[in-house]
Amino acid sequence: MSDVGRSMRFFYHYLKRYKISFTIVIIAIIVSTYFQVKAPIYLGKAVTSLAKYVFGLMHGVSNKGDFVHFVWLLGLFYFIGVLGTFVMNIAITYITGYSTNRMRRGLFGKLQRMTIRFFDSHQDGDILSRFTSDLDNISNALNEALGEIMANIALMIGILIIMFQQNVQMAWVTIASAPIAIILATFLINRTRKYTDIQQDEVGKLNGYINEQIAGQKVNITNGLQQDSIDGFLPHNENVRKATTRAQTYSGMLFPLMQGMSLVNTAIVIFAGSWIAMNSGMSRAAALGLVVVFVQYSQQFYQPITQISTLYSMFQLAVTGARRLNQMFDEPEEIRPEKGAIIPAGSTSAALNDVHFSYDKGREILHGVSIDVEPGKMVALVGPTGSGKTTVMNLLNRFYDVDSGTVSIDNKDVRQVDMTNLRDHVGIVLQDSVLFSGTIAFNIKYGKPDATDEEMIAAAKQANIHDFIMSLDDGYDTKVTDENSVFSTGQKQLLSIARTILTNPSLLILDEATSNVDTVTEARIQKAMDAVVQGRTSFVIAHRLKTILNADKIVVLKDGNVIEQGTHQQLLNEHGFYSELYHNQFVFE
Amino acid sequence: MKIIRANIKPFAWGIFWAIFSAAVMAAASLWQPKLLQNVINAIIANNNHKILTIGITLIVIALVGLIAGVLNTIFSAKVAMGMAASIREMAYRKIQAFSFSNIERFSAGSLVVRLTNDINQVQNLIMTVLQALIRVPIMFVGALILALNTLPQLWWIIVIQIVLVMLVVLSTFGRMGRRFGLMQTLIDRVNELAKENLTGVRVVKSFNQENNEQKRFNTVSDKLNDQNIGVGILFSLMIPAFMLIGNMAVVAAIYFTGDIAQTHPGAVAAIASFINYLMQIMFAIINGGMMLTFSARAMVSLNRLNEIMNTEPDIVYKKDVPEQDLTGSVKFDHVSFTYDGDDQPTLSDISFDVKPGEMIGIVGATGAGKSTLAQLIPRLFDPQSGTVSVGGVNLKDVNERSLRKTVAFVLQRAILFSGTVAHNLQQGLKNASIADMDRASKISQAAEFIDRLPNRYDANIEERSSNFSGGQKQRLSITRGVIGRPKILILDDSTSALDAESEKLVQEALNHELKGTTTFVIAEKISSVINANRILVLDNGKLVGEGTHQELVANNHFYQEIYETQKGKGEA
Repeated sequence: MSDVGRSMRFFYHYLKRYKISFTIVIIAIIVSTYFQVKAPIYLGKAVTSLAKYVFGLMHGVSNKGDFVHFVWLLGLFYFIGVLGTFVMNIAITYITGYSTNRMRRGLFGKLQRMTIRFFDSHQDGDILSRFTSDLDNISNALNEALGEIMANIALMIGILIIMFQQNVQMAWVTIASAPIAIILATFLINRTRKYTDIQQDEVGKLNGYINEQIAGQKVNITNGLQQDSIDGFLPHNENVRKATTRAQTYSGMLFPLMQGMSLVNTAIVIFAGSWIAMNSGMSRAAALGLVVVFVQYSQQFYQPITQISTLYSMFQLAVTGARRLNQMFDEPEEIRPEKGAIIPAGSTSAALNDVHFSYDKGREILHGVSIDVEPGKMVALVGPTGSGKTTVMNLLNRFYDVDSGTVSIDNKDVRQVDMTNLRDHVGIVLQDSVLFSGTIAFNIKYGKPDATDEEMIAAAKQANIHDFIMSLDDGYDTKVTDENSVFSTGQKQLLSIARTILTNPSLLILDEATSNVDTVTEARIQKAMDAVVQGRTSFVIAHRLKTILNADKIVVLKDGNVIEQGTHQQLLNEHGFYSELYHNQFVFE
Repeated sequence: MKIIRANIKPFAWGIFWAIFSAAVMAAASLWQPKLLQNVINAIIANNNHKILTIGITLIVIALVGLIAGVLNTIFSAKVAMGMAASIREMAYRKIQAFSFSNIERFSAGSLVVRLTNDINQVQNLIMTVLQALIRVPIMFVGALILALNTLPQLWWIIVIQIVLVMLVVLSTFGRMGRRFGLMQTLIDRVNELAKENLTGVRVVKSFNQENNEQKRFNTVSDKLNDQNIGVGILFSLMIPAFMLIGNMAVVAAIYFTGDIAQTHPGAVAAIASFINYLMQIMFAIINGGMMLTFSARAMVSLNRLNEIMNTEPDIVYKKDVPEQDLTGSVKFDHVSFTYDGDDQPTLSDISFDVKPGEMIGIVGATGAGKSTLAQLIPRLFDPQSGTVSVGGVNLKDVNERSLRKTVAFVLQRAILFSGTVAHNLQQGLKNASIADMDRASKISQAAEFIDRLPNRYDANIEERSSNFSGGQKQRLSITRGVIGRPKILILDDSTSALDAESEKLVQEALNHELKGTTTFVIAEKISSVINANRILVLDNGKLVGEGTHQELVANNHFYQEIYETQKGKGEA
């Protein structure tokens, strides 16, 4: 219940600004409902007066005036009813369009303000599905369900009122079967939900299996496991068949069943209507009118029941969607200090002082790490995987905040520094380079969109990637995305080095790419890195030897502690962990 | 359609009953207005008895219609889901017969989408056809005939109505299709932007680009909104337009009945049923139009599935070859290989000869063709020219089972399947015993961490093997490779995530435990192949050197170049 309540608040928040549109919708619904429920009366009157006119003709009297009058009125009522529906649809379209657009923009904006911790601890696919299926479900529900449900409820009330005004007995006959229909619908909806859950579960398992098997098909082929793969597939496939058959039977039955009920009800109305008309001494013309009118009412009365029950599942999905969007909006945002300190331009010092840090409570990654760098110097971080090298990078740029101790740049605690200013000063090159969809120029100018082409080319030259870019047909205007393969992994890293050079950061963090780079590209990356490090304070997370040799200081991390630090020669002379690492990794004869 | 036709037979009865019940349903709907007309006639004739019989007929027919509707759903669901499952099975079996290049031509991702989303579309299509589409022509023709029968004088109203509805359908559906196309492109773009902001969140933040990203996103989001509203307006117009056409036809019908009734008084009783038939004709056209639009999407999916079924596996093993006892020798004879769609050959004119038990290193820059060469030995691809032989048998004449038993291939990227460790190891040797696993995991140095797992070989491997590190995955993958005691073992850069110490231990164990096994080691690092009996040097798809480390260092400049860059690092 609180779920629905919270979802309602969510919808209220996004819909409240469309008060005028909603007023229009409500007026339109009232107008169209009024004319829709009144129209059958005029249909009845038209038929009655037609009958009178024809009976009159038989007796030599020709009075067409009444008949023509009612036909015109009927046409007018129909027209205004339709006009009301049209106005309502248009208003709902605008409300839905603009409110979901605001949700989409808001969700994206929220993403931009959330912490790295959130992104590191959630799966991309799950977050993405909120942009796609959840927003879609909400939009569909608003578009189709919102207006329909409102209009149908109004229609139901209107018809009830008008039926009882017309003929109480017939009204009771018409609504007599409704409770059965509602019970049936509720039963089917519950069943459908239950079996749809099972179906989703089984489909998920099957898709998982197919995904894994086909992605690993090389293993299947080289080990001759094709038949085993089929054997594993068959039970999943059978389970899906069973589950979908059940779920689709129940969900598919709702509509024909409701339509069938409507048909049965109409039959009852025709039967009972003529019986009542015959036995109550009505004139034949009036009896005719009554039957025709209540046939229409019976159909109109069942329409809301059918519609609302088919729309119910859509409504459910929207509530779930709203809940999942709410979860996102409730996530904490990055804390940006107001009126934070400003770091002056130029190369700067940086230091970690007795830093303790954990990603998850109770599992500390850094146990009191202290490192300091003087302006313009270069520190290399080395150590086995999991030693905490990347964590240090995360702290310098305030992707995460320390548990205790301080991280400072230019002797200022980074938590006191204006965050935009901080990140302007700190440039990072990640191990896994990321490209954004757009041109190469867009990607290089990413951190400084107003850079000139000359600046861009200079940066690309420094990063050793200019020649390759010029070899492409469209040069800097070549369109790229993160997935397409214009660039190799190594070239992507060169491009991201160019991107960082262009922003001219005062403190540089480099995470070297490790694998899948051939020796030629490796040499290029090395040259580019040497160029970018020149004259800047820098932290380099090192996987290669060359970097370490040139460093002003090498810091060896192991299990979250600094175990050795000094220059290459100093550390070799110590014959400690570094010396062992060095000999194991690089001396092969 | 081929794939559907192939699957009709087992479901013939289900299809028959689904169609039959749909027809019964349609007949019940069509009959009702006729009976209404009869009731009215009875009222006019003041015939109480007749009202009673017609009334009961009415209710019975409506109930029959209802039951037919329920049965129709049951049969439709049974047929649609059953056919979908058997199409999926057919396609899956076909894919399992594919060679690796077949799969790469489709891309694994696309095959998964075809087996899931596309089959889903087809399943919905079958369900819709059996449940609703079948009824449309019956309703349309039936209502048309009955309407003409009821008030033949008003045929022109029916014609005008059909023409108007058709005009609305044609003018809006085309426009809608275009808008839906644009919408899909924009939705893809929204997803792309959201996705790259997730993968690149660190870059966005470190370059302070949050506001620019928001602007970029808003532009696309607003465009999408325009399309959404455009489609919405079309719908807002279309539905009232249909209502108006129907309503005006009713008004016209009543009005002109006034004229007809002067000569044919029976027309008064007919008017009510005529109105109902007009509505039924209109809904039949609208439903038909909507379903055709919907089917167009499913037809695309159907074609994508047919593409799978129409693809012939490009590597086929000869069926009549008996099992062979292959030795560990490998021979390449003037082998050239070009990937599909490439204009440059990846391997050109490669010849070499390997004796059983030799250890062969393969080195060269990225893209030199090392992995491709290795993949020809287990026949993942066939060369365009030249022959590859294993144990003296040309691979084109080899028995598949024998080849699989002889050659084990350990991939560059270790792939494990979700399940237990044992399940994965047994892929290399069916029914492998604990002793087999112990032996193999000692060679691969996996024993060290397997022994620390709570259930050892019964420990679970999660999806995407996320609970194992890169090095552990590679060691498990090597274990799977050596467990079947293959005569030929290919390690395609399979130790890249291991540290130098473990790599050395693996190599020593291989030398010691698999003495008679021919081993191919592909490596980026020369240190990995330094002890090989022979090293093959590849450059740009050509074999440019062959010999021991010492020989190559002495007289092969390609090898020297690679060696220098790596040696330089070690001794600087």
